[in-house]
Amino acid sequence: MNKETEVRDDFFIYEVFSQRSVSSSFVHQFSLLAPNKEVALAMARENFLRRETCFNIWVVKRDDIYGLSPEERPFLERLDNKSYRETRGYGDLQARWRHHREQYEEKQKHAESGS
Amino acid sequence: MQTQMERSDLTENEKMEAFLAKIDRGGKIEADDWMPDDYRNQLIKLISMHGISEIMGALPEKEWVPKAPTLRRKLAIMAKVQDEMGHGQLLLRVAEDLLAPLGKTREDLMNDLFAKRLKFHNVFHMEAPTWADAGVIGWLVDGAAIITQSMSLDTSYAPYARALHRICAEEKFHAQHGESIVLELAEGTEEQRQMLQEAITRWWPSLLMFFGPPENGTITSNQSANMRYKIRTQTNEELRQVFLKKYLPRIFHLGFTVPDETIHFDEEKDQWVYQQPDWEQFKQIVKGNGPRSAHRLNLRETSYEETKWVRDAIMSYGRHVG
Repeated sequence: MNKETEVRDDFFIYEVFSQRSVSSSFVHQFSLLAPNKEVALAMARENFLRRETCFNIWVVKRDDIYGLSPEERPFLERLDNKSYRETRGYGDLQARWRHHREQYEEKQKHAESGS
Repeated sequence: MQTQMERSDLTENEKMEAFLAKIDRGGKIEADDWMPDDYRNQLIKLISMHGISEIMGALPEKEWVPKAPTLRRKLAIMAKVQDEMGHGQLLLRVAEDLLAPLGKTREDLMNDLFAKRLKFHNVFHMEAPTWADAGVIGWLVDGAAIITQSMSLDTSYAPYARALHRICAEEKFHAQHGESIVLELAEGTEEQRQMLQEAITRWWPSLLMFFGPPENGTITSNQSANMRYKIRTQTNEELRQVFLKKYLPRIFHLGFTVPDETIHFDEEKDQWVYQQPDWEQFKQIVKGNGPRSAHRLNLRETSYEETKWVRDAIMSYGRHVG
C-alpha cells in the first residue's frame, strides 16, 4: 500500500455562510477544503448544518475575499463621540415630552376647577 | 483572503511584547495576526492532535454501528460517528491555516499520523469489545472530552475557540447518548450489569490517563507554556479532579465500582485521592503501541486508499467543468 498520501494543490479553501430563515441575515459558519464549489456546497451542509435549521447556504472561495490586514483592523474601533448619530444621543426627549404633558394637564385641571 | 502588505516597522521583541500584552488583557489572536513561532507550534501540536483524535475516535464506535441493538441506537451512533468526522474537518481546517506559513498541508498531517509522528488520544488505541464499551465511551470518554474542551472555550486563539463552540454543543448530545445506553444496561438484567461493570473496569486506567500526566510526572509536558499563552487555563490534574468529582459519585450511585480499592475523597484538600495509572504504559500507547493502534491506523489508511476513486472522480469532473 502506498503510505504517502498524494499532495493536493487542486483543493481550495471555501468560506461557508448560511441563513437560518428567510428573515435572518447570512452568518459566517466556518471554512472547508473542497476541489470545487459544488462539492463545497454539499460539504457545507454535512459539516456545519446537521442539526440547525437552515434556509440557504453560500460558499465563497477564500481567495476571492478582500479584507483588512491585522494592522489595519484596530482603525475600525470607533471614537466615542458620535452620539448625534444614535438614539442614545437623544435620551432626554421622553422626559421633556412628559414635562409638557404634565404642565398641560395641570393647566387643564386649574381651568376646570376655576370654571 | 487577501489583505494589503504587512507593515513591519516593529522589532521581534516589540511584537512579542505587544502579543503578550494583548492576550493578557483577554485579546484574541487570529490566523493572520503576528504570533511567536513557539505559540504557533504549540497550537499546531494541540489542534492537529485534537483533530486527528476526533477522526480516530470515530473508528472504535464505527465498529458498533452494524451491531447496535435497536434501530434508534443504530441511528444515534451513526449520527455520533458523523459528528466526530465533522469535528475532525473543523479542527484540521484550523490546523491547516496555522501550517500554511510553514508550507505544510493536511496531507502532511495524514503522513505524520501514518508514520506515528502525530499522536492521538490514548483512549482511541483501546478495544471496545462489548456494547457496554460503546456506552462507556459516550458517557465517560465524551464526558472527559467535554471537560477539557470547555476549559479551552476561552482560549487565546480565536479560530480554535470558534471551532470548540460548535464541537462542545454536539459533544453534549454524545454524552447523553452514552448515558442513555449506560442507564439502560444499569437498570437491566444481572448479565447486562456485569457487562457494564466490566466495561467501567476496563476503561478506568484509560480515563485517568486521558487528561495526561500530572505536571510533576515523569513525562515532560507543555502545560505551563500553554497556560502562559492562555491556550489553556487549567492543569491536567485540575481537569482530572473535575472529572472525578462529576463522575465517580454517579458510578457509585448506580452500584458500580472502579478498580482502585484505596480511592477516597479528601474533604480537607477537596480532591479525590487515587492510584496513579501506569504512565510508562501511557507513553507506549500514545506512541502507537496500544492494543488497537495498528488496527485503527490500518483502517484509516484503508479508508483513505479505498476512497481514492471518489477524489479522482471529483477532480476529473472539476477539470471538465472548470
